[in-house]
Amino acid sequence: MHHKIQIPPLKNFLGIIIVIIISLWIKAELTSESGLFYLSLWIGLMLGVVLQRSRFCFYCLSRDFIEKKDASGLLGILLSLVIGTIGYHFVFGAFLIEPVKPYLPPNAHISPVSLVLILGSLSFGFGMSIAGSCISAQLYRLGEGLLSAVLSLVGVLIGFIIAYQCWNFFYINFISNSPIIWFPHYLGYGGSIFLQLLLLVLISIFLFFFHRPQNKLISHHWWENRWPTYIGGILVGLIGMIAFLRITPLGVTAELGRVSKLIAGYFEMMPSRLNGLDTLQGCISVVTNLFWSNNGLLISGVVMGSFAAAVFSNDFAIKVPNKNELARTFIGGLFMGFGAMIALGCTIGNLLSGIMTASLSGWVFLLFCFIGFYVGWAFRIKFDI
Amino acid sequence: MNKTIYIFASLLWSSFSFANSDFLVESDWVEKNLNNPNVRLIEVSVSAGDYERGHIQGAVNFKWHTDLVDTVSRDIVSKENFQNLLIKSGINQGDTIILYGDKNNWFAAWASWIFDIYGVDNVKLLNGGKTKWQNENKPLTPLATAVSAGNIIIQDPNLSLRARLADVVKVANNESDIALVDIRSPAEYEGKIFAPEGVQELSVRAGHIPGAINVPWGKAVNEDGTIKSVSELKELYASVGIDGSKPIITYCRIGERSSHTWFVLKKILGYDVRNYDGSWTEYGNSVGNPIINLTGTVWGNT
Repeated sequence: MHHKIQIPPLKNFLGIIIVIIISLWIKAELTSESGLFYLSLWIGLMLGVVLQRSRFCFYCLSRDFIEKKDASGLLGILLSLVIGTIGYHFVFGAFLIEPVKPYLPPNAHISPVSLVLILGSLSFGFGMSIAGSCISAQLYRLGEGLLSAVLSLVGVLIGFIIAYQCWNFFYINFISNSPIIWFPHYLGYGGSIFLQLLLLVLISIFLFFFHRPQNKLISHHWWENRWPTYIGGILVGLIGMIAFLRITPLGVTAELGRVSKLIAGYFEMMPSRLNGLDTLQGCISVVTNLFWSNNGLLISGVVMGSFAAAVFSNDFAIKVPNKNELARTFIGGLFMGFGAMIALGCTIGNLLSGIMTASLSGWVFLLFCFIGFYVGWAFRIKFDI
Repeated sequence: MNKTIYIFASLLWSSFSFANSDFLVESDWVEKNLNNPNVRLIEVSVSAGDYERGHIQGAVNFKWHTDLVDTVSRDIVSKENFQNLLIKSGINQGDTIILYGDKNNWFAAWASWIFDIYGVDNVKLLNGGKTKWQNENKPLTPLATAVSAGNIIIQDPNLSLRARLADVVKVANNESDIALVDIRSPAEYEGKIFAPEGVQELSVRAGHIPGAINVPWGKAVNEDGTIKSVSELKELYASVGIDGSKPIITYCRIGERSSHTWFVLKKILGYDVRNYDGSWTEYGNSVGNPIINLTGTVWGNT
């Protein structure tokens, strides 16, 4: 028996080296005015490593539960919500001493609860099943070498553009009349933590009831083993809190939204205004023509972090898609992009960050995204896609 | 000989900073007075999260969009709401109030104008604002400041500090001898553009109010955001005919950058100045008032 700790072969470190070089290059390119850009990149890198190593994909983990009765993945997600809820409420107390209406914590992902949110969540969940991964998972799997993720993200961009055409109608008829429900307004911070933890524990008990432990293959090479999802869950919760404290809640659609607006503008498909979304900031320009952005660097970091982790753990493999996969992932992307735009966030922005923020919108998204996922999953089985 | 020059120069220099210090404070002074119970720091912010994620220790927050303006009709904050805001922020009678913000204290200057309107004394701006504080690597904190209710009582609004549409129309029609200072960019003043890029509040006409001279607000500050010295400012404005001999009205697009120049002219130079808070978004949209449009840009003419 070996007793010394094995080190992975040198080639496994290549990804880490490449990512470090790129990060240093980015640091050199960033001007001093962009204090939070570099931090965004690092948060993205950490998130990318965690998502990849713990296989933190909402679709895959949901599928594990439905098909194999393996709830460990979903329980990991719930754990991230527990850690994140507690972390967020600690930060709330620093930002906003008394949670009194109409005050809300800054940049919190608290969306109006409306039929549009429900529609968006359903669309997103459905799209996630058709595409095979949610948006954040497409990003980390791109880092693993899944080339079809590119087409999925293209589909997401186009889905956004389709959503822009409908946005003003949705806003005027539904969203502008809809309530924003932030639990601390009604229950205080303590009551809000209690309610959320209670709900999360109840869901966990439900999952445990159906859970069947699985035999998982463990490799002798420690670097090849996936991290258990509960580790990923704890880390995602912590990273979420750090992001909220320093920059803004985690989300992966802001930059995609920005890019889709540029594309739509180029093809003259952009409505001249998006009511409710344009912000009046007095003399400060809302248009940022900068190449870099916090969210752009975050999602770049996710891809890069995942790449470094994948190479390290022998998970990296260029996967060239076939025609069916391409069609599926693109169409799934359309549904995801459309849903994420009108819901104002995806599984990271709405489900994770929304629930951590103690917003009712996060829970609504959770429920209807799962329903949409289930419909999509059943659809794929039925039509053998 | 050298010693005489040195003494003379330092007396001269300190006289300038002494003249400023009634209404401006430097960051070092603030740093030393963070625990002074009679000093109340206020960060005036416009973007969500700016104050929350890092403010000067002990500072409370005024959000410009909701706390310092009327959110329903276009007006400054009402006396009742401002009084409640000050009490809630723990401001007591006799406190020294230090205002600061980013964007070169634009919005903090608006706040200082509001304080003046409601008759509150001892209000000063932190020279260089939040940006200079950060560039000096002075610490910030994300922990909100808990305060107990204050006891300050404010006065009825002093409207002699405020210019209205009727006042500037008189100047435009040559019916009153008041100096008008347009602090916007030259491109806006000349009518080349209706508003800077990305800005949502537009007006139906471009140009400036007849009689207005253009002194962009940025000319009153140094590179680091601090306000220029008294002698430099006197020279800057005198070169375009503003020397305090006539009353002055400042304006911009929505009235809050112009309060920065109002602060400079009134508090630093001691001239008789009013801020026209309706500014170009009111004048440029008003019907039947004369405009000078040097460039000939026509609305809607494609």
